[in-house]
Amino acid sequence: MATRLQFENNCEVGVFSKLTNAYCLVAIGGSENFYSTFETELADYIPVVKTSIAGTRIIGRMCAGNKNGLLVPHTTTDQELQHLRNCLPDSVVVQRIEEKLSALGNCIACNDYVALTHTDLDKETEELIADVLGVEVFRQTIAGNILVGSYCAITNKGGLVHPHTSIEDLDELSTLLQVPLVAGTVNRGSEVIAAGLTVNDWTAFCGSDTTATELSVIESVFRLREAQPSAIVDEMRKSLIDSTI
Amino acid sequence: MRIETCWFCSSKVYPGHGIQYVRNDAKIFRFCRSKCHKNFKMKRNPRKVKWTKSYRKLHGKDMTQDSTFEFERKRNRPERYDRNVAENTLKAIKTISKVRASRYDTHIKKRMMGNKRKELDRDRKEVRQDIDMVKAPSAQNKDPSFTLPKIKIKNSQPLEENHAMEE
Repeated sequence: MATRLQFENNCEVGVFSKLTNAYCLVAIGGSENFYSTFETELADYIPVVKTSIAGTRIIGRMCAGNKNGLLVPHTTTDQELQHLRNCLPDSVVVQRIEEKLSALGNCIACNDYVALTHTDLDKETEELIADVLGVEVFRQTIAGNILVGSYCAITNKGGLVHPHTSIEDLDELSTLLQVPLVAGTVNRGSEVIAAGLTVNDWTAFCGSDTTATELSVIESVFRLREAQPSAIVDEMRKSLIDSTI
Repeated sequence: MRIETCWFCSSKVYPGHGIQYVRNDAKIFRFCRSKCHKNFKMKRNPRKVKWTKSYRKLHGKDMTQDSTFEFERKRNRPERYDRNVAENTLKAIKTISKVRASRYDTHIKKRMMGNKRKELDRDRKEVRQDIDMVKAPSAQNKDPSFTLPKIKIKNSQPLEENHAMEE
C-alpha cells in the first residue's frame, strides 16, 4: 500500500529517505513523525535506519542502493560510513565511491537487476555500480533529462517516469528494465518523481500533496495492492532470469 | 574525525587547522598552513621543493616501500564493528609504530654509511691547510708531533688526530 506523509511540512519525501527491499534509510529530523511512519510500515520486515550522509539530511538524493548494496558519495564521513555498515545487514555491501558527482541518488536509478545512470559517470564508478549493486548498467536519459535518478522511480515490479517521456522512450526503457513503465506525476503534478516518491516491491511512500488519481496510478504500476513483503517473488524471478540467460 | 594530510608537504592536518581548496572538478586540496597554500598558489611542484615529504620520498631520503605503510589507508568499504578486532587493532598500532621506527633507523643508518669517510677526509684536509693558524710553520718543523701520520685510518675510528692538534 502507498502511504502519504510529509517531512517537516515538506512533501518531497524521496529526498529525505531511501527505501529498498532490504533496508530503509531515513533522515534525522526534528520530529519523530516521519521516522515512525516508516517504522510502523516496515519495522517487521527490514531495518529502518536513521542517518545523515555527508552531514546532510538529503540522503535520498545522495545515495543509491538496492537489496545487494548501498553506494554513498565521497563526501560521506567515516563515522557515517561505519554507522551504516553497523546498522545494515551483512548481505548488503556498503561502498563509498570516489566520483566527482556526489548526488548519486540523482545520477543512478536502480532496481535489484538493472540500473540507469547519468551519462557523465566515470568508467570506474560504472564498474563499481555493477559490482556492488549486482546490476546491469545503462547510461540513459529520461525525457531529455540526464538526472535519471530524479525523474524516475523503479522497482522489480514496475516504474514511474517523467510525464514528458515519449512513447518510444518508454518502450526503450521498459525493454532495458524488463518491467512495465508508466509516465506520471506525484505531489499534485510534480515531475520530479523520485523526490516525491520512495518505493520498494511491496510498499510506497509519497508526499502528502499526492492526489488520489496519482496514488492509484502508483499503486497499479508498482502492483502494491496484491504485494506482500515476501522474498519468494524475488527468488522466483531470479531463477527465471538465470534460466533464460 | 579524520586527520587529513597536507597536499603539499604531506604533514598531518588536524581538525580546525589549515585551509582547503576545492577545484571545480571536485578535487580537494588541503593545506596544513599558509606556507603550503602559498607554495601551491605559486604553482610549485611539491616534488621539486626540497622540504616536502614527496621530494624526500622521490629522492630516496625517506623510507618509501615498507609493509608498515600498508596498514594506514583510506577504506571505502568498511568492516562491521567488532570489539575484539578494534581492541587488537589498538594494540597492534603500538607494535607497528615501533617496528616502523626501528626500520626507519636502519634506513637512515644505511643511507649515512658513506658519510664517515667523507667527513674524515674533509677534516684531514682542513688540518693540513690551516695548521698554520695554530702554530707557525717554523715551529712545526722543529716539533715532529705536528706532522700528520701516514697510516690509513679506518671508518670506525673516531677523529682522534683532530683533537690532538688542538691541544
